[in-house]
Amino acid sequence: MKRFVYINDDSCRYSYCDNRISNTKYTLWNFLPKNLWEQFRRFMNQYFLLIACLQLWSRITPVSPATTWGPLIIIFIVSASKEAWDDYNRYLSDKKANERKIWLVKNGIHRQIKAQEIHVGDVVWLHENDEIPCDLVLIGTSDPQGICYVETAALDGETDLKTRIIPPISANLSVEQLGKVKGVVECPNPDNDIRRFDANMRLFLPIIDNEKCPLTINNTLLQSCYLRYTEWACGVAVYTGNETKSGMSRGAAEPKLTAADAIIDKLTIAIFMFQIVVVLVLGYFGNAWKYTEGLKQWYLMYPVEGEAPWYDFSIIPLRFELLCSIMIPISIKVTLDLAKGVYAKFIDWDEQMFDWETNTPAHSANTAISEDLGQVEYILSDKTGTLTENKMILKRCCISDTSYGNDNGDQLNDVRLVNAISSNDPDVIKFLLVMALCNTVVPIKSNDDTVSYKAQSQDEEALVNAAANLNMMLISKDSSTAEICFNGSKFRYELLDILEFTSDRKRMSVVVKEGQTGKILLLSKGADEALLPRACPGQQIQRYLEAAEMYSQLGLRTLCLGWRDLKESEYKEWSKNFQEASCSLDNREFKIAEVCHSLERDLHILGVTAIEDRLQDGVPETIKLLRNAGINVWMLTGDKQNTAIQIGLLCNLITSEPNSQLLSISGKTEEDILRSLERALLIMKNTSETKDLAFVLDGWALEIILKHSKESFTRLAMLSKTGICCRMTPLQKAQLVAILKSAGYLTLAIGDGGNDVRMIQEANIGVGISGREGLQAARAADYSIGKFKFLKRLILIHGRYSYNRTAFISQYSFYKSLLICFIQIMFAFLSGLSGTSLFNSISLMAYNVFYTSLPVMTIIFDKDISETTVMQYPQILLHSQAGRLLNPATFCGWFGRSLYHALVVFFITISAYSDEKSEMQELSMVALSGCIWLQAFVVTMDTNSFTYPQILLIWGNFVAFYMINLILSAIPSLQLYTIMFRLCSQPSYWISMALTVAVGMGPVVAFRYFKNLYQPSAINILKQIEQSNGSIQTSGNLESARAKLTNLLTGSRKIRDSNYHPLLSDSAESAR
Amino acid sequence: MVPSNGDTAGPSSSQDDPAATMKKRNRPQYHPFTQQQLPACKPILAPQTVVEVVYQYETSCIPGYMLDNEVAYIQNPSIDKTCTRILKVPKDMKHPIYIYYQLDKFYQNHRRYVKSRNDKQLINPKEANNTQYCKPEATEHGSPVVPCGLVAWSLFNDTYSFARGNKELRVHKRGISWRSEREHIFGKQVFPRNFQKGALIGGGTLDPGIPLSEQEDLIVWMRTAALPTFRKLYGRIQVDLRAGELITVTMQNNYNTYSFGGKKALVLSTAGVLGGKNSFLGRGYVIVGLACLLLALLLTMLCLVFPLKEEHLALQYPLPRPAR
Repeated sequence: MKRFVYINDDSCRYSYCDNRISNTKYTLWNFLPKNLWEQFRRFMNQYFLLIACLQLWSRITPVSPATTWGPLIIIFIVSASKEAWDDYNRYLSDKKANERKIWLVKNGIHRQIKAQEIHVGDVVWLHENDEIPCDLVLIGTSDPQGICYVETAALDGETDLKTRIIPPISANLSVEQLGKVKGVVECPNPDNDIRRFDANMRLFLPIIDNEKCPLTINNTLLQSCYLRYTEWACGVAVYTGNETKSGMSRGAAEPKLTAADAIIDKLTIAIFMFQIVVVLVLGYFGNAWKYTEGLKQWYLMYPVEGEAPWYDFSIIPLRFELLCSIMIPISIKVTLDLAKGVYAKFIDWDEQMFDWETNTPAHSANTAISEDLGQVEYILSDKTGTLTENKMILKRCCISDTSYGNDNGDQLNDVRLVNAISSNDPDVIKFLLVMALCNTVVPIKSNDDTVSYKAQSQDEEALVNAAANLNMMLISKDSSTAEICFNGSKFRYELLDILEFTSDRKRMSVVVKEGQTGKILLLSKGADEALLPRACPGQQIQRYLEAAEMYSQLGLRTLCLGWRDLKESEYKEWSKNFQEASCSLDNREFKIAEVCHSLERDLHILGVTAIEDRLQDGVPETIKLLRNAGINVWMLTGDKQNTAIQIGLLCNLITSEPNSQLLSISGKTEEDILRSLERALLIMKNTSETKDLAFVLDGWALEIILKHSKESFTRLAMLSKTGICCRMTPLQKAQLVAILKSAGYLTLAIGDGGNDVRMIQEANIGVGISGREGLQAARAADYSIGKFKFLKRLILIHGRYSYNRTAFISQYSFYKSLLICFIQIMFAFLSGLSGTSLFNSISLMAYNVFYTSLPVMTIIFDKDISETTVMQYPQILLHSQAGRLLNPATFCGWFGRSLYHALVVFFITISAYSDEKSEMQELSMVALSGCIWLQAFVVTMDTNSFTYPQILLIWGNFVAFYMINLILSAIPSLQLYTIMFRLCSQPSYWISMALTVAVGMGPVVAFRYFKNLYQPSAINILKQIEQSNGSIQTSGNLESARAKLTNLLTGSRKIRDSNYHPLLSDSAESAR
Repeated sequence: MVPSNGDTAGPSSSQDDPAATMKKRNRPQYHPFTQQQLPACKPILAPQTVVEVVYQYETSCIPGYMLDNEVAYIQNPSIDKTCTRILKVPKDMKHPIYIYYQLDKFYQNHRRYVKSRNDKQLINPKEANNTQYCKPEATEHGSPVVPCGLVAWSLFNDTYSFARGNKELRVHKRGISWRSEREHIFGKQVFPRNFQKGALIGGGTLDPGIPLSEQEDLIVWMRTAALPTFRKLYGRIQVDLRAGELITVTMQNNYNTYSFGGKKALVLSTAGVLGGKNSFLGRGYVIVGLACLLLALLLTMLCLVFPLKEEHLALQYPLPRPAR
């Protein structure tokens, strides 16, 4: 299928959609049905809806349908409002984008319209730094060569500028002609491939060239990119609105599900199975009782055989299904969502994660995954801007044979260098000239005549700044000339060509013509391995190699500078080739590289620069802490290997030789690489745990490994605690995350730039640093923080507490539901297995949504051990990392506890309230009170630290229970009428409650006490250490306690799915 | 010195007798506090005993020749079901003595049963036609049954009367239900209609002239029991009984518990603070107390046999901050 776009022709403009962008999921009309449909895709909601519908059948329902419908509707309203609110915000941001003003040219007239009013076929006129509103075919730019620059970071995450050229057919159009041009573009129907655009264009008369001209992706300006360093550009809209390439590739982000959520889902299904079994058994016995005993009970008046409907046998099982439906707590999702919202708010509010320098607080964009932070196993970190400050400073340089610069001071302020400049040393002058000219930096003059520099690359900015500080100042620059001020006198240079930087060439050059002498110069700079081999024969490059090696040992980024005088004729000839190559249609990049290659030879190497990218404050400590916490930290960078390793050393990622070994996976050929991978794997397997092993590999090696030997690499990734991956493309970073994820590890990716976006989105948790490279990463991330050092707090404090709290809340929710359900089941045996509900509808509903959900929420204030202790003993993270607090085993503990408590409540109730006191409503209230008393004590028992909201909520809720029931007891139309008054005045009621609590909690307390004394878990030990802080210190005690702790915490690297610990015995020993 | 309430009579009447005035002026003023006459409760620190007589009669009140055909006996309305027995009072019983009937294996909590009533009909005379939930005892020849439903229909109808020697012991049947029930659950204007007029007679009948709020037997019966074995209050005896006294009980054994093999018993019981005779709570506390004691002993023993190791004690002491 093709689409034909008629340029500037109103007749076809309405056959395609307008440029209204819509990211919203719903419209006003489809919100309700669509949202309901979405919600009912969840298993839990389907289940509850089924239960609610069954309850409408009064023949089988044991309680009023309101007990399910009420909470179900509340839950739906809550989720729907949240969705609606999110969607409304999306609508607002869309609206902002849609109502942006855009210049349009029609019949030669420039008009300003809203972005949403653009139609296919319109000619859009863009200015520098404009965001491109829709997919355009470029037809004209301000550049005489027909080139314009676009930044595509928002589309593909690549921060370097891309060039786009106008198709040859429209190359000669004047500005006036552009406004009136007519023609047709034949292009494929919209798709999401941002690397392909196979189309052709034909222009109509009066333009002479009436032939079809092929178009490629290089002739397009795609939506959401930015126009840079080009005064203006204009293009024909071909795809608009949601049909653009970026619109089509914008999939709905899959909601992230935390590991804890996954376990909760599994537990839910297990409980569901259990429930089905219970229902079948009870249903069978219920029917059996009915036919053996029930028919004899004349007062029940069972219909005579034959009168019963055919489905009679299913009535009792269905009744039990309804009775047992409360086994799956309807409130669990709402409670957890609420708790997660609070965790996220705690992160937003955290004062200690506020970055004073950049004035940015931490922010959690995704409120649902905080507990995953506590279970992180791998951190994949970007280097530049994440570990480092991304503030480049020229620290040292080596010119001719002299190495300048020292460790002190931020700037390069070596007296020898200053002297060399003042004595006009020609090499030094040339060196500085290359620093000032060989770049794409744009000088910006401010009002007070000071010049500041804007650069795409931080390195270039650092070089230009350093040159300016050494009196070689770049004053102004446009597309053809540059002006330099040296020692007060100005020099003009004509910029003839820019041989751009590409990651393949690893160098860039400019060709300039000296204004005064007319000499043509080639100025080059690039990575040492890219430039030094191109030195002119005879020059001693050994010195520079050594310098570059030395600098990168110091963790500095090195660049080589080179220079060559060009002959007029040589340049002319080359320039022709270059023009040709630039305009070639196929394989352009390769051809340009070839041409550049031919010029960049016989260079006179001037020297080596060394730029420091300072480590961020607190990075080494943070990495050390995180590694102590059992998290594996990998560094993924686009930088080169040496620098990466040095940074790794500086920030504690790897230690020096005797304690650790760095395994390099590299080679010249594919076989070499694969062999070195196997060797690394072998060494990893055979080395003891105490030695830190790290591997290093680069992008090329990774590419080959992923192609040929993915399994070995996955094994290597699982074994190694540290990895340094350099020369990574954004896609490779994401691939690494995907490998670890597919091996079942919980990954956290942290980065700051557009090139980290994919990795951040791929990882279980994405953290963005709101740094200097813009906010792209922060926007795509789940969490954004100001500095890398806040990561330790995010993981160890927020993540750990969130996990602990979620573990408690979820299991407690099951506990309380099971508790009341077990009582109902036991009562079934005393009510002829007929499915009578012991509790009335009001009590049941209030129990789930009110009496029990409030106290449990107090756990969001709970801290098992203090923040300081966690920071001191980061190993404790292992507990949450290995999922020791929420797994089938701990759940069995809760299950057992609820069964025991149900037995206690039920038997005490029926024994104390037997004979003349055995009255339905009273008995039900006694049992309910027993549950309330027990659950209040259970929450209290499991609370580690009591803050006033906790005390207030737990016991306030307790008081509220009595208040509410006393009020309900005053309403004559309710079954509860006068019951609570009667009970509260009976001594036997209070005595029974006390007995229930004593029997219910006694064994639990005793067991815990015993456990703490004889088999303390690491958390218990830390608690005790915390309690006794500040008294005597003896080294012997210290040693033994340390030993014990280490014993508990180390050596038990998680073995997946195998070492779950029973509740209350969460020590590592029992599992080993 | 007899305390007199002279405060009121005093000064005005004896104005002109100085001696008398003098005398009265000296008299200490009466106040319960000064006179040690404060109201007091006098707890006796002795176990409060609840005396209980249980007499199970479902078999003994059937004549020998009908023993193998109990259901036929109970369902035959023409047989006189009076049954007289003599009970011996085991201990002194202070009034009030509560009379209960106890049923066994009777599922008043069965779902079919417990739902089969209409509370609106019970309180509101205008709702007489509202027999929702009452099936299968809702209507009789098209007109509604009041009170409808299985619960009312199966009303217990054994009766008891007591005599000590020749003198009849009066059974107080008033006030055996809660006042709240009489006032807010069973209507004063609601009279039984069509009750037990169907082909199947369930249990007792009701006097159509008496409003439901005064049919206390029905009120007690309709407060459904939670367990299959339950007691319900029949009445009270407002005289003390002495140990050894012989009480003649005359029972009308009308109620059918035979078809489902349930037991029936007559219970005479006094009441304590915790209600009737129920030793569960007492035993429960003793057992819990014993368990605590045992646990304490066990832990002590454990501590003696396996003393806490050094490293446990070490943890009582702090660790210095680890070097960062």
